[in-house]
Amino acid sequence: MGPFILRRLFFLIFVLFGVSVLIFGILMSFSPERRAAAYITTPQQAKDLPRLVRTYGLDDPFYIQYGRWVGEVAAGNLGWSLVAAQPVWTAFWMYFPVTLELNLYAAPLIIWFGIWLGTRSAIHRDDWFDHLSRVFAIIGWSLPTFLFALVLLMVFYGYFRMFPPGIIGDETALYIMNHPESFSRYTGMVTVDGILNGNWRVALDGLRHLVLPVTTQVIVVVALLMRVMRSGMIEELSKDYVITARAKGADDRTVHLRHARKNALIPVVTVAGQLVAFSMEGSIAVEVVFNRQGMGWWLAESATQLDMPVLMGMCLFMGLVFVITNLVIDILYAAIDPRIRLV
Amino acid sequence: MSADMAGDDRRDGRRETGAGAHPILEAKDLVVNFYTYEGVVKALNGVSLTIPHGITFGLVGESGCGKSVFVRSLMGLVQEPGRIDGGELIFYPGPPSGDGPVQGVDLLRQPESYLQRIRGDRISMIFQEPNAALNPIMTVGEQVAESFLFHRVREMSEKIAADLGAGGGRTTGPVKAVLRVLCGISARNPHARVLRVLNRVPVLKRWRRRLLREALSRSAELLGRLGISNPEEVIRRYPHNLSGGMKHRIVIAMALACKPVLLIADEATSNLDVTIQAQILDLLKGLKETEISSVLLITHDLGVVAETCDRVGVMYAGNVCEIANVGELFRNPRHPYTQALLNAVPKMAQTGPLESIEGTVPNLVDPPPGCRFHPRCPNAGEPCREVFPEMREMGVGHRVACYFPVEDIG
Ligand SMILES: Nc1ncnc2c1ncn2[C@@H]1O[C@H](COP(=O)(O)OP(=O)(O)O)[C@@H](O)[C@H]1O
Ligand code: SF4
Ligand SMILES: [Mg+2]
Repeated sequence: MGPFILRRLFFLIFVLFGVSVLIFGILMSFSPERRAAAYITTPQQAKDLPRLVRTYGLDDPFYIQYGRWVGEVAAGNLGWSLVAAQPVWTAFWMYFPVTLELNLYAAPLIIWFGIWLGTRSAIHRDDWFDHLSRVFAIIGWSLPTFLFALVLLMVFYGYFRMFPPGIIGDETALYIMNHPESFSRYTGMVTVDGILNGNWRVALDGLRHLVLPVTTQVIVVVALLMRVMRSGMIEELSKDYVITARAKGADDRTVHLRHARKNALIPVVTVAGQLVAFSMEGSIAVEVVFNRQGMGWWLAESATQLDMPVLMGMCLFMGLVFVITNLVIDILYAAIDPRIRLV
Repeated sequence: MSADMAGDDRRDGRRETGAGAHPILEAKDLVVNFYTYEGVVKALNGVSLTIPHGITFGLVGESGCGKSVFVRSLMGLVQEPGRIDGGELIFYPGPPSGDGPVQGVDLLRQPESYLQRIRGDRISMIFQEPNAALNPIMTVGEQVAESFLFHRVREMSEKIAADLGAGGGRTTGPVKAVLRVLCGISARNPHARVLRVLNRVPVLKRWRRRLLREALSRSAELLGRLGISNPEEVIRRYPHNLSGGMKHRIVIAMALACKPVLLIADEATSNLDVTIQAQILDLLKGLKETEISSVLLITHDLGVVAETCDRVGVMYAGNVCEIANVGELFRNPRHPYTQALLNAVPKMAQTGPLESIEGTVPNLVDPPPGCRFHPRCPNAGEPCREVFPEMREMGVGHRVACYFPVEDIG
């Protein structure tokens, strides 16, 4: 397995090169002045656009500009984020934990719930449970995320005052700021840090802010996984080895869980992996509606303001997530399916 | 109708085959329908058949005539959207004991839990496609061991308890005591709810592993008996690492694990090349002497029937149209369909699949009224088009469902 992982990580270099050239090329289609405008902070500078273009070398040929960017990245400098008013690297460690924390709760729920729902509705095909969960899936799938998020927010915050938007309550934020010696931010994730510091008040406050975004994410995304699981399970249940198992005297539980479900999980691993990978980039709708400044929010802001270093950094991040996810998927595949060899 | 006729059948079974006199299974007026979108497929239209104890019974007929549906309904495994809509399936699970009457149970009126106990233990089945019949992601050992784990937990628990008592193994002191208690529980009731809970406790899981190990060693031993060399190694392999013939033996092993009284082989040798087919048939023949009492062999190869079967049933479009001992059937076929089948194979003993006979198998959603064979039958007359012909005895142990049978040549 070692050589397999090394080979895959070697492959990563090409992926990163490919996506970065692609995105860089697209961004180059904006005129040098447009790109220079992104650096303006005072009216004074606006008059001097050509000078900015020259200073940053924005009218140099593509390969020179790209080479310059690669050089900087290789030296460990990802550039400066205008949106965050911080270096990209520092800003990343501010925004990423917010998105990661949401997925820390959402992803296991999506996977567990999707597999459970899909399995059950395949087993009870065409009875009320199946119909109900399919209606649920269609609603989750077709409802726009932002609309669903807004409705949840209006009901549970606007009306019941239970689950506020944001990442953390003002009081809790103040408490953390005022007690730097007794509360250390290990991970940047509110609930995790709360638990690591043994501070339940902080952890619970973080959790309170997570309920609605996690719910939205789960309901919107679980539909896809459930459908893959359901159709896989139905297909497996119709296969001959299931009849063989029954002919041996297997009970329903053994047939469903030991034989069919394990086989049906093979395609589910791919879909689940890709869902998790996509989620790491943050859901823009969820982060904007619930006012959680994470990766999705940052990406949206940077895109609208043409924050080039952020966009380039983001594409490196996505390439990395993509390759690692596929690596994990392949390893899981080999663990489930003996027919697959890691080469 | 069926009670009397079944009685006749039993009698002739005794006289003609000379083997077991008792029936092992009696199907009476079995009706199976498939409720599809295109309409109701009337797959079995009142099938009555008696399989005597101790013989190999062949079931032949063109593809689509309901052979597989029939044998699946014997095991309660008719697939969606099929339903058994009528009839009786009397099964005699115990060995025939002297002259006393054998108790029969109607499988159609038993709960699923009873069928689960019967399947794979008293009645087993081997399938046409060993490739598809094996779970691709479980080892051969795990799959064969399941047969023991489903039906032989009690016996295996007693053995493990005895082993623990004899003081073998590394397990010591209190753990051993607990394991013995678990063995005790499972020897009394293998399905005890307590066990399911206790099996999740880490140390106690060892008990479950012990059971699995016992089942695996029995599996290896069984494969060895079926002539597989190196069984200890084979049980650790996955199906995709085995040759076709080997997979076939594994499928047979799974069916034989608990020494069933009835083994059903549904076209088990149809897709094999001739040498392997001969090997497998020899294996089945040998096993019939030692391990199982009766075999129900489904095939569309009359050569195989002539070589291996004692008695034959011919099916056409959801009906049994003729039943006779094998010599009698080949020498003196009475049903026009049987005769057509035999004529399609030039020489009786010649091996090979059936040639097609004129006309096509009727659509079972809207089958012809009366005798379902009448559109293709050279003898068809007035009553054939209206009323279904009942089975009649036309010679010793020779039963035919036909108004105008082929001439009796004695
Ligand atoms: N799952 C099913 N759905 C609908 N019809 C079926 C199904 N299985 C079998 N049948 C019908 O039952 C009839 C008998 O099929 P089968 O027993 O498989 O024939 P064979 O004698 O070749 O084994 C066929 O006409 C087929 O159309
Ligand atoms: S009953 Fe009539 S149609 Fe049917 S096989 Fe006999 S002669 Fe032919
Ligand atoms: Mg068939």
